[in-house]
Amino acid sequence: MNPILDIQHVTHSFGQHTALQDISFSVKQGEVVGLIGRSGAGKSTLLRCLCALERPQQGHILLDGVDLTTQPERQLVRIRRKIGLVFQHFNLLTSRTVAGNIALPLQIAGCPRREQADRIAELLELVGLKGFEKKYPSQLSGGQKQRVGIARALAANPTLLLCDEATSALDPESTSSILSLLADINRKLGLTIVLITHEMDVVRRFAQRILVLDHGRLVEDGTLLDFLRDGQNNRTLQTLLADIRPSLPAFLARTMAATPSAGPHRAIVRLVLSGTDASEPLFSALHERFGVQTALLQGGVTTVGDHLSGDMILSLEGDRTEQALGHLRTAAQNMEVLGYVPSHS
Amino acid sequence: MSPLILKLILHSTWQTLEMVVASTALSVLLGLPLALFMIATGPQGLYRLPFAARLMGMVVDAVRAVPFIILLVLLIPVTRFIAGTSLGTEAAIVPLSIAGIPYFARIAEMALREVDSGLVDAVRAMGGTRMTIIRSVLIAEALPGLVTGVTVTLITMVGASAMAGVIGAGGLGDLAIRYGYQRFNTTVMFGVVVVLIIMVSLMQVIGNSLARWLKH
Repeated sequence: MNPILDIQHVTHSFGQHTALQDISFSVKQGEVVGLIGRSGAGKSTLLRCLCALERPQQGHILLDGVDLTTQPERQLVRIRRKIGLVFQHFNLLTSRTVAGNIALPLQIAGCPRREQADRIAELLELVGLKGFEKKYPSQLSGGQKQRVGIARALAANPTLLLCDEATSALDPESTSSILSLLADINRKLGLTIVLITHEMDVVRRFAQRILVLDHGRLVEDGTLLDFLRDGQNNRTLQTLLADIRPSLPAFLARTMAATPSAGPHRAIVRLVLSGTDASEPLFSALHERFGVQTALLQGGVTTVGDHLSGDMILSLEGDRTEQALGHLRTAAQNMEVLGYVPSHS
Repeated sequence: MSPLILKLILHSTWQTLEMVVASTALSVLLGLPLALFMIATGPQGLYRLPFAARLMGMVVDAVRAVPFIILLVLLIPVTRFIAGTSLGTEAAIVPLSIAGIPYFARIAEMALREVDSGLVDAVRAMGGTRMTIIRSVLIAEALPGLVTGVTVTLITMVGASAMAGVIGAGGLGDLAIRYGYQRFNTTVMFGVVVVLIIMVSLMQVIGNSLARWLKH
């Protein structure tokens, strides 16, 4: 199947500053892709190129087979109607009601007035704001405003939904509800979503695939699990992952040594589990087979996309700890011995 | 207060209102497109023509630099050409408008500049044409500010129209100078001031509540 979005060797610079350097990736129909990077990594420029607001100096961007970089402005105006954009600061017109805001893309597309009302009602139902037609944006909370923003982005049946830091201005609760709404839309409508953010926590929730942008280059392309498993020596990934990974409690880090002490001690390990492994009765298996006492110090199992993923720090104690560690090394996606602490510390 | 004085004040009030309303209407009608032109051709505008923007800005500032009393006399040939005469209330509308257009244009420009550029981007990304952006975003979003600008222009025109007596336009200012000052008629002077205060206050109150109502 042809990708819905195909980016080929895109390079763009502002004067001396290179914002994007040889970016290539493609997105399949129905995929949810998270595009992550720190500020200044080139996210915004890439976004502006993707929604045809900026023309990259080199390379090609194919949306549904049409090359955005070679189209005249007149055509680009039409193409933009097929790209839904959700903004960090909502960008709703304060002069219009909720219904008026959602109607705007429909008016632009030349949709008859009678159909507009039906479509608006349908969209408000979808985003969970039934009956909000006549309210003004100033009467809404941040989360509600973003729901209107999403409804507006979906109004003209886009082939692609771009979310630019869509949850960065929201409180944690609204962030969760907006993310689940987006996941819902992806499931119900099969809509392709590209999520641009600087927060790993946001993409972790439902992006099936993560692209990492750093200094204008695409440095990683994979699943979160890939990153947790292989990202040990990757500085960029480590910084991004630091937000969402369990970290060793400070009081333990102080007493931890690289080698086991002479007396009774516990091994501190970091464990990454995925898919079916994450739902296995791991702790009891360790106890039965090796007689090892396992304690969960930090982290746990969370949902990543459609499956479970475990990222945790454990302490293991027992005579056959080394064998247990050997077992974990083969069973887990990734296992790392962080160090040893004396017992009861 | 004699009926004669009352009649004089009423007549002058009507003349002032005629000048103020007509010249403000013309200032808005021609000043708003001028402001949109300056915004749209500006460095971040929809049609980038920085040279045109700068040129227009210079013309606007040049007209605004000339004191109204001088403009009034300076424009007499223009007034005669447009209005057919250089004397009277109707004739005064020409110089008042010519002073008002750049005045309102600058105020409107400020109001339009206040519109969040994110909104322009949003509608551009939606595939809106530049006309849609000007209509649905720039003007619609700046409307409360534009209304405040109209209020300020109205009140400025009240002040400027007082000088129009120089070209025989009549009005409250003229009345106050001729009867109140030159003939030492304090009643007329006092009456004119009261009428002016009431007029300006009403304009401000109505303008403010309209702007607030539009602000949602």
